[in-house]
Amino acid sequence: MSARAGVVPEPTPWSEPFWHGARDSQLLLPWCVECGRPFFYPRPFCPRCLGKNIDWRLATGRGSIYSYTVVRSNPPTAFRSAVPFVIAIVRLDEGVQLLTNVVGDLDALRCDAPVEVVFEPVNVGEFALPKFRVCDSR
Amino acid sequence: MRRLESGAFAIVGTGEVPTGRFERRPALESALESSRQAIMDAGIDKSEIDTVLTAGAIFSRKYNADMVFSRLVEELGLQETAHLNAQVFAGGASSSAMLNVAGALVSTGMSRAVLCVHSDKLATGVDPQEGIDIFATLGIQEEWEMPFGLHFSAVAGLVTQRYMYETGTTARQMASVCVSNRKWAELNPNAMFRKPLSIEEVLASRMLSEPLHAKESNVLADGGSAFIVTTSERARELTSTPVFVLGHSSRVTHYSISQESDITRFSYAQVGRAALSEARLEIEDMDIAEIYDSYPVFQLIALEELGFCDRGTAGAFVEAGGTWPGGRLPMTTNGGMLSQGHTGAGGGVAILVEAVRQLMGKAGDRQVTGAKFALDTSTGGTYMDVHVTILGSDVP
Repeated sequence: MSARAGVVPEPTPWSEPFWHGARDSQLLLPWCVECGRPFFYPRPFCPRCLGKNIDWRLATGRGSIYSYTVVRSNPPTAFRSAVPFVIAIVRLDEGVQLLTNVVGDLDALRCDAPVEVVFEPVNVGEFALPKFRVCDSR
Repeated sequence: MRRLESGAFAIVGTGEVPTGRFERRPALESALESSRQAIMDAGIDKSEIDTVLTAGAIFSRKYNADMVFSRLVEELGLQETAHLNAQVFAGGASSSAMLNVAGALVSTGMSRAVLCVHSDKLATGVDPQEGIDIFATLGIQEEWEMPFGLHFSAVAGLVTQRYMYETGTTARQMASVCVSNRKWAELNPNAMFRKPLSIEEVLASRMLSEPLHAKESNVLADGGSAFIVTTSERARELTSTPVFVLGHSSRVTHYSISQESDITRFSYAQVGRAALSEARLEIEDMDIAEIYDSYPVFQLIALEELGFCDRGTAGAFVEAGGTWPGGRLPMTTNGGMLSQGHTGAGGGVAILVEAVRQLMGKAGDRQVTGAKFALDTSTGGTYMDVHVTILGSDVP
């Protein structure tokens, strides 16, 4: 396994807009035109109605921590130098969940804490990963 | 949907080799010895076995291909009678998946007797870091989860964190689940870890992914186990200790843990009610809870959602000894993956085999006196599904 394996996403044709947006520091979500609702992660069609008409919209970039964990030891090989780091499930205000990292002060971490998106470049700027930081409540 | 009549099929024999680090024991030997024991235990003429189902092995593609390509049929000398050899693999839920498929085959007359086998070599067949890396890819999304470093300890950390937050369960209570499993493993000659364990030792162990301690993590192991399924009618002729499948239900809720809507409940409540209803039994009728662990939080969630304990009280129940030997509700009496060891798909098979041994009265020093009904659970992937099976030494 190469040192970078697992760190760089492997995009699909239907997720290109998401990663393109991330490089421009924009969190884009696929919305189903038929259902009028967003879904995550990107798929070739809507997982609710199977409609293929998808509209990419800018998300608020805000949400809350559903759960988090501070990885202290035994990470995958590619993440050995990153320890300690925070893995979280974030619930976006749009109603979808995603897996991410939370950056910043570990003491600010708690379930249901409000967060906002930040983008971190990986692989010399080839990709930007949407990560989150705890922010003031609204 | 029409389901099979409650108690239509039964398990007639089980086999198991010790779980642990056995560098010089090939996975094939574990599979063959487990199968041989199961055949002897059932008292069945092996010519009656016309179907062999295997759960997938992870450590070696070659060994797994051997299982798919009928190696067991040839090694066990079943060529004259076997009409199907196939893999039935649902990760940690393979025990339930194999039992369901085998039950359907024998109940419809498509098979006479089905041998279900699993063996893997995850302790000595792969190096420890390779083990972590393998489990950082299996059941984890390469595009949406792996770039953020998700791996199995982190999955357990996420679930444990939210569960403790919502229920107020303490770190000591969480650690006490490991102690409960260990107390049973102390009595289990096939378990990997048999030395007494204290709550303090668990809490003093290294932090993996907060709030998960090292001793709250299963350890990958070598092992193998097997069971044989036939119709209840035939089971009664073969053995004086058949174990009947009285009810089963299951739900598949996700592939990615990050897409699960409630990581503190999963679908145990709904699945448990359906399985008990099919068995025409109540949760209070269960003498043993053979709960799939892999990490302690999943046992607490199952105890609460299945109705053994109220929400938020399972931790205190376990810490007070409720699930320990001599407790009101013996739980995971082989020691689970936390103490018997995690053999991949075999973790669930080992728990099912233990449930059967208990109901047959063959559980040695762990025997729960007079046990008649047991509830067995399994779950695979990143807790993608919940299976609940109700087993009984008699059909009520």
